[in-house]
Amino acid sequence: MTPTTSSFAVEVDRLHKRYGPKVAVEEVSLSVATGEIFGILGRNGAGKTTTVELIAGLRKPDRGAVRVLGLDVRRDRARLRQVLGVQLQNATLPSALTVTELVRLFGSFYPDPLPPGELIESVGLTASGRTRFEKLSGGQQQRLSIALALVGRPRVVILDELTTGLDPEARRQMWATVERLRESGVTVLLVSHAMEEVERLCDRVALLDAGRVVALDSPSGLVRRAGFAQRVTFRTATPVPCGLLEGLGEVERIRADGDRVTVEGHGDLLQAVSVALVRAGVTVTETRSEQATLDDAFVALTGHRLDPEEERVR
Amino acid sequence: MTEVPLHRPGPRAWTALLVCELKMVSRDTAGLIVPLGLPMIILLMSASQGGRVVGNGRTVLDVYVLPLVFTMVVAMTAVVNMPSFLAYYRRTGILRRLGVTPASPALVLVAQVVAGALQMAAGVGAAWLVALLAFDANAPARVGPALGVLALTVTAMYAVGMVVAALAPTPNSAIAIGLCAFFALGATGGMFGGRDSLPEPLAAIGDRLPFGAGSQALSAAWAGAPIEAGSLIGLSVTVVVGSVVSAAFFRWE
Repeated sequence: MTPTTSSFAVEVDRLHKRYGPKVAVEEVSLSVATGEIFGILGRNGAGKTTTVELIAGLRKPDRGAVRVLGLDVRRDRARLRQVLGVQLQNATLPSALTVTELVRLFGSFYPDPLPPGELIESVGLTASGRTRFEKLSGGQQQRLSIALALVGRPRVVILDELTTGLDPEARRQMWATVERLRESGVTVLLVSHAMEEVERLCDRVALLDAGRVVALDSPSGLVRRAGFAQRVTFRTATPVPCGLLEGLGEVERIRADGDRVTVEGHGDLLQAVSVALVRAGVTVTETRSEQATLDDAFVALTGHRLDPEEERVR
Repeated sequence: MTEVPLHRPGPRAWTALLVCELKMVSRDTAGLIVPLGLPMIILLMSASQGGRVVGNGRTVLDVYVLPLVFTMVVAMTAVVNMPSFLAYYRRTGILRRLGVTPASPALVLVAQVVAGALQMAAGVGAAWLVALLAFDANAPARVGPALGVLALTVTAMYAVGMVVAALAPTPNSAIAIGLCAFFALGATGGMFGGRDSLPEPLAAIGDRLPFGAGSQALSAAWAGAPIEAGSLIGLSVTVVVGSVVSAAFFRWE
């Protein structure tokens, strides 16, 4: 891994970190291509934040190495700080300073900062420029935090829980900001437990569970690993005859829950199931058909749900 | 992959951080009352009885009250205010957030120290102005040594403040520990009246601690008397011990 030959913006090599008896990150290896938007997905406690803190050089790994743009994140910290923008989860800023003051202050640390007005506008905070940090809403604080990660024109950005606590409109705005970063060639490491966000933004995703990378693929590649492509859920007025659906070629799995039946499979599953039920004279009262999502992939690969709502309340 | 040229934050960053520190201080008006207001009250209370000349054309006000008031301003700012700011920075993750920018922790520390020094200058300046205009105070008989002693006292108090900042786990405990340290140093150093009323060993210790040593040395400079070596040694030892202890225990996170 010499700095000059690598085309990867971020290279993580067999990273290992434990806190006392608890292993937080175990044998994590991944490479992020320059200009890529790379997602790190996992539940709380899966090791996402520790992983990005190790990548940002904030913590010392027990084993393994991290290079960002060819820089050793522990030894070349001064250079790293110039090219790596970091938005930390729940980072607080001096409460008595205003949005514009903070953007100017953080800009002063870099050789060629973005113009404050432009940056503030890009995160939708123009109207709050003179508002003190303590008076900002949670969503506004989050947007300011992202602006501060971008003020030094970084070439690699780590965004930890980008849209947690944002309303849908602000969330879309943040996504547009990230997409603009992609256009300008910035490499983005996106930590998230919001499936929708990862599916929409990321080129590739590393799925973390209990400190390990359990899968690393494009979002659609991960979905394929969920083991099925289609899911049909329906209710019937009369019980489904035994063995009726099991014989269908498209069906892979059947789950019955009272009068509700969930069938997973591939191909034209809905059509096949509907025809079979009509032929058997079963009246269907309610049908729903869905494509497999990253959420399903997560369940298939880790054995438990991601459940972002529950996570957010925590 | 291109080489990343090394760029360290320059004067622009130092200035920006200092300006922000001062804005924060000025917006936290309650924090200013103590270092500016309290010494003023002491001055007003003691000044009326301070007219008696004690020698060299200097009055009780010059030789005893003003050194005490100045030492209080310095101690309040360095031992109580600065540690609480640093502890608040650490507690809220501001230091952590700055840690992922090119700003070095030293930048924050220096900005704190300079902002504190400006507060001290404001406090000392205000007290001096009132003493001069309202109570006919006289300048120190030996101005140079007086300024030197004041600078040494400031450094020693900062060393104590850094120890408080290093040991306090939370902002509230920083204020509590800082106030305890302030009153302990002040009580043994003559803040509540003569040291004669203290038990002999305590008074002897208090004379060497930064409050007693600083105010006595300042008093001597004002009166034109020789400054006791013990005072200067006490202040210097405080600087060294405080620096070593705080460097060993200070945490940015």
